[in-house]
Amino acid sequence: MIRHLFTLIWNRKRSNLLLIVEIVLSFFVLFVVSSLLVYNVYNYRQPMGFDYQNVWEINLNPGADTTAYNQKLQLTMQRLKATKGVIGVTKTSSNTPFSFSTMNGAYSYKGKQMPYNDNFDADDDFRDVMKLKVVEGRWFDHRDAASTRTPIVINTALKNAAFPNEKAVGQIFTDEKGEKEWQVVGVIAGYRAASDFTEDAPLSFRRRALDYDMTKKASSYELPVLLLRVQPGSGAMLEKQLIKEISNVTKGWSVTVNSLEQNRVAKLKFVLTPLIVLGLVCGFLILNVALGLFGVLWYNINQRKAEIGLRRALGATGAGIGGQFLGEMLVVTTLGVVLGLGLAMQFPLLGVFGVASGVYLQAMLLATLIIFALTAICAWQPSRIAAGIQPAVSLREE
Amino acid sequence: MNATTTQPHSASPSSTFATAPPMIKLTDIEKVYQTKTIETVALNRVNLSINKGEFVSVMGPSGCGKSTLLSIIGLLDEPTGGLLELDGRPVKSYSDKELAHLRNQKIGFVFQSYHLINDLSVLDNVELPLLYRAGVGGKERRQRAHAALDKVGLSARTTHFPSQLSGGQRQRVAIARALAGRPEIILADEPTGNLDSVMGEEIMDLLLTLNREEGTTIVMVTHDEHQALKTERLIRFFDGSQVQ
Repeated sequence: MIRHLFTLIWNRKRSNLLLIVEIVLSFFVLFVVSSLLVYNVYNYRQPMGFDYQNVWEINLNPGADTTAYNQKLQLTMQRLKATKGVIGVTKTSSNTPFSFSTMNGAYSYKGKQMPYNDNFDADDDFRDVMKLKVVEGRWFDHRDAASTRTPIVINTALKNAAFPNEKAVGQIFTDEKGEKEWQVVGVIAGYRAASDFTEDAPLSFRRRALDYDMTKKASSYELPVLLLRVQPGSGAMLEKQLIKEISNVTKGWSVTVNSLEQNRVAKLKFVLTPLIVLGLVCGFLILNVALGLFGVLWYNINQRKAEIGLRRALGATGAGIGGQFLGEMLVVTTLGVVLGLGLAMQFPLLGVFGVASGVYLQAMLLATLIIFALTAICAWQPSRIAAGIQPAVSLREE
Repeated sequence: MNATTTQPHSASPSSTFATAPPMIKLTDIEKVYQTKTIETVALNRVNLSINKGEFVSVMGPSGCGKSTLLSIIGLLDEPTGGLLELDGRPVKSYSDKELAHLRNQKIGFVFQSYHLINDLSVLDNVELPLLYRAGVGGKERRQRAHAALDKVGLSARTTHFPSQLSGGQRQRVAIARALAGRPEIILADEPTGNLDSVMGEEIMDLLLTLNREEGTTIVMVTHDEHQALKTERLIRFFDGSQVQ
C-alpha cells in the first residue's frame, strides 16, 4: 500500500506540487516562529547569574550642583551602608539590570578582534550586592587600585570566545589600536541583565573608582547608579528613610528609588509585547494555512468521489479509504517537510543570527511535529468524510 | 411480477449444479429512496435467483432500477427490505469490513464509464483489487495483473495510462481488473454502453468467453437487446419491478 501511495502521489505530482509548496512555506514560517520560541524559552530557563530580589536601584541626579560631586556621593554611600535594613551598597553604570540602557564595544586580543560585548562599570562591592558567582580568579578588590591596566572581570561566554583552551586570569585585552589595555582578574558564570529572555552573551565588568569629572556637563547616562541590597521584606518605611539620608547629604539632588523587581516587570512587558504580537500574527498565518489545507483536501475528496466508490467496490473498507487519504497527506507532508528541513538546515550551517545550532535543531523538530499535527488534523475530517461516502452514490458521481 | 424469461444460448454449466443453492438469491428485495418531500421506489419486492455459472442480462428503461439492483447484488448498497443471499448465506447485518471482504473475494465490477483511475498505469489499475486482499504480495499481484491483461489482449499496454487508450481498450482494462481478483461473480453495468458496435461486440465476446470457459457468473445490465439476447437469461424491469 505504501508503494501504491507513492505511485499515486508521484503520478499526481502536478496537483501535489502546490500542496507541497504550501507545506514548505508553512514549515518555514513555523521554523522561524519555533526558533524564536525555542531561543527565548532556552534563555528564560538559563540562570540569570545574579539575584535581583531585594535589590533597590537609586538614581541620583545632581542637576546644576557640580560641587564636590564625588565626595558627596561617597558620603551618601557611607550613610546608606550604615542605615539599618541595608545589607550592601554598590555603584555601577546606568545599564543596571532590566534597564533600557546598554554600553558595548569589542576588545582585541593578540591583534584579533573579539566579539562585541556589553560593558558594565562596577566597584568592589558589586559582586556581594548582586550575588555574582566567580568561577575563576577573583572579583575586584583594593589590590586593583594600584594596577597600571584597567582590571576587568569577564563572563564565561567571553572567556570561551577569547581563550577557549587557556586560563583567562592574567590575559590582557587591548583596544583596536593597542593603546589601551585591560587585564582580566576574574571570570563570573554569567550575568543576564537585560531581561529574562536575554542570551548569555559575552560581557565584561570594568573596575571604576569614584572619578567622575563633573566639571564637564555630564549626561544622565554617565552618572553612576546605586544598587542596594536590603533586608527581605523592606518597604516604604526604609525607602523613606533612605531618601531622608540622601537628602541630608545631597540637598537639591533629585532622587528616584525603584526595586529591580519592579524594573523586571516593566522590562518583561516591553520584551513580551512584540513577541505576543508576532505570536498572534503567526497564529493567524498558521490558521490560514490550516484552512487552506483543509479546503484543498475537501476539494480533493469531492473530485475523487468516483475513485472512492471504485475502491470501495473493489474491497476497500471505509476506514481503509480514510486511512489512504490520511496516508497520502502524510506522504505529501513528509516531502514538504524534507524540502523545508533542507532550507532550514542552512541556518545552523551558515550560523545565521549567531544563534546556537541546538536552538535551530530543536526548532526544526518542533516545526516538524507541529506541521505533521496540523496536516493530520486538517486531513482527519475530510478523510472521515471520504470514509463515510456510500460506494453506490459515489460511483454515480462521474 | 415474478415471471422470468430464459433465452438458452448455450449449454449452461449451471445445469450441473441444479441441486446446489443459487449463487445469488433475492427475496422480496425493496429499495426506497427517501428525501424530505418525496419517496422514490427504486425496487419493488424483487424475487430473483441466479445460479452459479449463469450469464444473465437485465434490461429496462432508464430509471427502472437496473443499476440499483446491481448495486444491491454487488453489496454496494443496502436494500430497504427483503433478503439477499450469496451462495446460500444471507447477507444481513454484515459489518463494513465483512462486506468489503466479500466484495473483494467474490465480486468483480465492470462499469459503463470504466471507472479507471487516470493517474495509475494500466497495470496499477488492474492490480487494485489485489491491493485490498491480504496475503497477496507485490510479485503475485504483478503476475496476476499481467495474466489478466494477457487474457483481454492488452499485455502490450501495461505502462500506458487510461487517457492513452481507446474506449474499448479502457473497458478491456476494466474487465482485466475484474478478472485479476478471480471473482465468482462479475457485475457489468452497461459495459458496452459507451462503445461503438464493433468495440461492443468485442467486449461482449470477451464476457461470453469468460462465462463459457471459466464458469464465471455474470449479471449484465444493458440497453442493447441484441447483446442481451446472447445471454442465457434476460430479465426485464419496469418501474422497479421485474416484468418478464
